[in-house]
Amino acid sequence: MIADLAAATALLTLEGMLLDEQDWDGWLALYEADAEFWMPAWKSETQPTEDPLRELSMIYYPDRTGLEDRVQRIRSGKSVASTPLRRTAHIAGNVMLAGEEGGILSVKSSFNVHVYDTRTKTQHVFFGRTTHGLVRRDGALRIRRKKVILANDCVPTMLDIYCV
Amino acid sequence: MAPDSQAFNTPADLDRLLDDRIGEGWFSVHRDAFRDPAVFELEMKHIFEATWNFVGLESQVPNPNDFLTTVIGRSPVVVMRDAQGRLGAFLNSCRHKGAVIFHTSEGNGAHHSCPYHGWTYDTAGKCIAITSQRQAGYPEQFGKTDHGLARVARFESYRGLLFASLAEDVPSLADYLGDARRAIDIIVDQGRDGIELVPGAVSFTYNANWKFQLENSSDTYHFIPTHTSYIGVLEKRRSARAASAPAGSIYEDIGAQAASRRGSFTFPHGHVLMWGDNPNMSARPLYPMLAEIEARVGKVRAKWMMYVRNLTLFPNVQFAENASMQLRIIRPLAVDRTEMLTYCVAPKGEPAESRVKRLRQYEDFFNPTGFATPDDTSAYEACQRGGDARTLDWQQGYVRGMGAVQAGGNAEAAELGITPDTSMVGGYLMGDETIFHGNYRAWLALLKRGLEKR
Repeated sequence: MIADLAAATALLTLEGMLLDEQDWDGWLALYEADAEFWMPAWKSETQPTEDPLRELSMIYYPDRTGLEDRVQRIRSGKSVASTPLRRTAHIAGNVMLAGEEGGILSVKSSFNVHVYDTRTKTQHVFFGRTTHGLVRRDGALRIRRKKVILANDCVPTMLDIYCV
Repeated sequence: MAPDSQAFNTPADLDRLLDDRIGEGWFSVHRDAFRDPAVFELEMKHIFEATWNFVGLESQVPNPNDFLTTVIGRSPVVVMRDAQGRLGAFLNSCRHKGAVIFHTSEGNGAHHSCPYHGWTYDTAGKCIAITSQRQAGYPEQFGKTDHGLARVARFESYRGLLFASLAEDVPSLADYLGDARRAIDIIVDQGRDGIELVPGAVSFTYNANWKFQLENSSDTYHFIPTHTSYIGVLEKRRSARAASAPAGSIYEDIGAQAASRRGSFTFPHGHVLMWGDNPNMSARPLYPMLAEIEARVGKVRAKWMMYVRNLTLFPNVQFAENASMQLRIIRPLAVDRTEMLTYCVAPKGEPAESRVKRLRQYEDFFNPTGFATPDDTSAYEACQRGGDARTLDWQQGYVRGMGAVQAGGNAEAAELGITPDTSMVGGYLMGDETIFHGNYRAWLALLKRGLEKR
């Protein structure tokens, strides 16, 4: 066992907090350089896509550079969708350990992310399930894989990396 | 918010929405076209529910008893193959109390029962069972009434693209599409066996009028200002990769794109095609198949497959091929709210490495979770909110490109063997807006036709 439930829960809580505080460098530092980030699309009412190399994803990055690109865009001030940035509150719950394989600890959880658009004074909640693949590096847990199943996938206007 | 418009009772009342004086060098659309709920009601009734709408691809329903569901205007529709494999389109509404029968986007089944009282239909739309009919005490007249699912008035296909009309009095689909069919051919012929939808559909909504999406697909002018942050990401990726490594997107070298040409065609019935040279064609997922395609369709049509091409088939479907290819179905929900259903389109049987490239380009650019579309939809919403400035009336800018547009075809039209209403070709930075004239002329003509009939 490379980590216990409390340490995994603390990491998921920290990730949400860093996104809410818009501490992008702190958030990126939680990810390994070869971290895969995957949010499948849905191919029916009950089935998310299963193969990011043959089927469509909502987001798929094979390594952390995709997340770094997102941060670059958010910080650019040149994205009308991101300026002014929406406010968020991440709630991670139902955290449970789901096995360990090849040195990667699988952690399942549920998420609610409340998103508020200051321009229109409207709000929305994105929710679903997340599976994190965690590794231990330098005594701390880091993210090697993250898979997000977005349950309410009809997206109101936009969804950025900080909305899940 | 209360509409502050006058009523639209006669065709002439609609003239205050469009200022089409092309001979005097002027064209504009009134802001009420984007903000007046009364205009939206007219659009639903006299455009979406009165002409051909795209409803799906034959490849989505390949087998007997397959179905897909969609919406035309406000009407829920099911497209299905019967047990013999014949396609039909029906209103997705039980004849008893109106309940929707088909509750999923796609599926298969020989019989479909209403979940409310159990009336059951076969896939030819016939009502084959009315629950406990013999014990019901229905009068004789009931037995003489047709209880089958109502067929949509017109239903035809062109090269695997399915279209339906709730109104009977529309031209044949071939006449309606006209020379825009050649642009469809450029899409369908990319694969030896045609095209298919990549598994996975993405839908999103935005709080603005549907015509902002209609325009944006043909709008070359917005690309650099709106997508500056996306272009910045691509520039970073370009500088990070080895010079010999393949480009990830045709837009990685935006300088080469900006030095290229952009052109437009408008067709009768509101269809338009925006096209452009593609100096970075090797970034296309289709590029590895170029030799096979040239041998099959000839060098000229193969070149058009490599071009940037955004096709609008009025009123509800767009094929955008710039960073890979997207199918967009526009569903207006209210004057200030629109739902988009989007798919990644690919030639059947493309190589694995092309598929990966297609997917990553698509997700980056087209998804509401990507780098580009969120900036488009956010811009539409800004237009909708700003458009509420009620003392302003006419949009400015629809004359951009007017100096380059000509009636009829040009050299590029001759390559495609088409005779459009208008042709335009200019530099990338021209940002032509005359292409929208074709959309709005058909838009006004359909609205007027509706009020004439009333």
